Amino acid sequence: MTSDIESMLKKLNRKELLELAHTKKINIPKNWSAQFIIELLSLNIEVEEIQKSKTKSTKIKEKTEMAPIIVIEDLQKKFENVTAIDGLNLEIRKGELFSLLGPNGAGKTTTLNILTGILQPTKGNAVIDGFDVAKNASEVKKIIGVCPQEATVYSFLNAKENIELFGKLHSLSRNQIEKRADIMLKLLGLTDASQRRAGGYSGGMLRKLNLIMALINDPKIAFLDEPTVGMDARARRNTWEFIGSLKGEDKTIVLTTHYIEEAEALSDRVGIIDYGKLIELGTPEELIEKYGVNNLEQVFLNITGRRIMEGL
Amino acid sequence: MNSYVLGALVNVELKKLIRHPVNLFMNLLFPALLTIVFMFTFSDPELGMSINSVVPGLVVYAVIFLIMTVAQSFSSDKKLLRRLSTTPMTSTEFISSQIISNMIVAIVQLTIVFTLAYLMGFRPESSFGGIALALPLTAIFALSSVGLGLITSTVSKNPEMAVGLSFLFILPQMFFGTFMPLSSSTEVIAKFVPSYYLFDALKLVFEGSWMNSAFFYDMAIISSVSVLIVIIGIALFKKYGSR
Repeated sequence: MTSDIESMLKKLNRKELLELAHTKKINIPKNWSAQFIIELLSLNIEVEEIQKSKTKSTKIKEKTEMAPIIVIEDLQKKFENVTAIDGLNLEIRKGELFSLLGPNGAGKTTTLNILTGILQPTKGNAVIDGFDVAKNASEVKKIIGVCPQEATVYSFLNAKENIELFGKLHSLSRNQIEKRADIMLKLLGLTDASQRRAGGYSGGMLRKLNLIMALINDPKIAFLDEPTVGMDARARRNTWEFIGSLKGEDKTIVLTTHYIEEAEALSDRVGIIDYGKLIELGTPEELIEKYGVNNLEQVFLNITGRRIMEGL
Repeated sequence: MNSYVLGALVNVELKKLIRHPVNLFMNLLFPALLTIVFMFTFSDPELGMSINSVVPGLVVYAVIFLIMTVAQSFSSDKKLLRRLSTTPMTSTEFISSQIISNMIVAIVQLTIVFTLAYLMGFRPESSFGGIALALPLTAIFALSSVGLGLITSTVSKNPEMAVGLSFLFILPQMFFGTFMPLSSSTEVIAKFVPSYYLFDALKLVFEGSWMNSAFFYDMAIISSVSVLIVIIGIALFKKYGSR
């Protein structure tokens, strides 16, 4: 019976698990992993309670997730004679995992750089959680976490020190940082290497550290720019599972990736951009159906391949 | 300004000083080696150079080499700076952390040079209180090194270029603003070199003759020029340097 309950609980996301715990008057610390919560709950509840909770939670989720948390309007970015983004319009919903796909040089990173305040748009605007990115950058920076495409860490600091610095920049207490860091280091398999200086890390380890630094502040919105590029298959799978687990934490995740198969498995919606324009938008299922193909990769090749042919 | 954030950034900068081999050598070991070599070389009275002139010059040498480490550090950390800029940290907090950590380094350098020189026979004629004046003087002068380092980094495309270009600011200060003999024409150039005033002020401090207008003139020049240089450095780096 317990294993039945456990398997049902595993189908719930973190928010649903926490709501369930709340109804049972069980206090769950914020830093507990989903697995811990499942194990505790499985000892305390009955199957019908899970089903009741799931129905209620799904309704709440559906209602809140429709609201956009990121609104991009007519965004344009020019670098001298090159137009990197050309009138991009896009809305990203609260709580969704949104993948921005596109060939190299399509404008994905430039879009993220504008949303995270690194670059100023030439024209148009972007609003994040009600704050204009160009005008209220300081407010935006409080609620976002950014994982850049290239692993940017202090090589002379160890993993914990790198994470601690980014936690402190978000004014988190040492205690908060340590608790959150320990969980993420464990989930990404970096605990044993956490006291080693980052300068001696492999590429995959650096990428994982890069990701943890971006998420240490428990951001409302996480921007992950190709977080798994250069990782071996095992590390990539591990990292994708980790990113997938964030979906349940009421977080909005915007990611760019070239691994379309994984984007298909994880994303709530995907946007395909090319030449700085949004050329397709929808859930992976919708797009697959629309193009009458078997998977998202074929959709991607269909769209961007055609564009390439047009360019020739 | 958030002191918690500032403290975290200063902590990282000081760790960089200790853990980064180039920084450790240039900031701490180099002044120590220089002091030992110069004290051995010039402590012979037959050479006609006073140790009282050599020691202030060594302090100046140590602090002007901060230009190189600041320039190198800012050039190599541009991607990290971009990443830091996506956090709630403000540019004021970041620049302040650089200034504070480099002021700390300058004070440590002064202490190293002074202690080694003292152990090798240097005896200043000033009281302890007078000698203590060297600390704020050196710390304020470090601002000019941070500023010149920022300017160098702004115009440099990579860390190697930054190291090379930093000598454009280091060499004139080494040769015209320390114990190197000056001719009547180079004396004119020296008046435009910030290190000239620190060297002169430190000499007055160690000689115990700092209670005069010459010392306060030096101090006024060091403070105003250093603040001006760091402001220019920050403005240029903010506008062009982080690209």
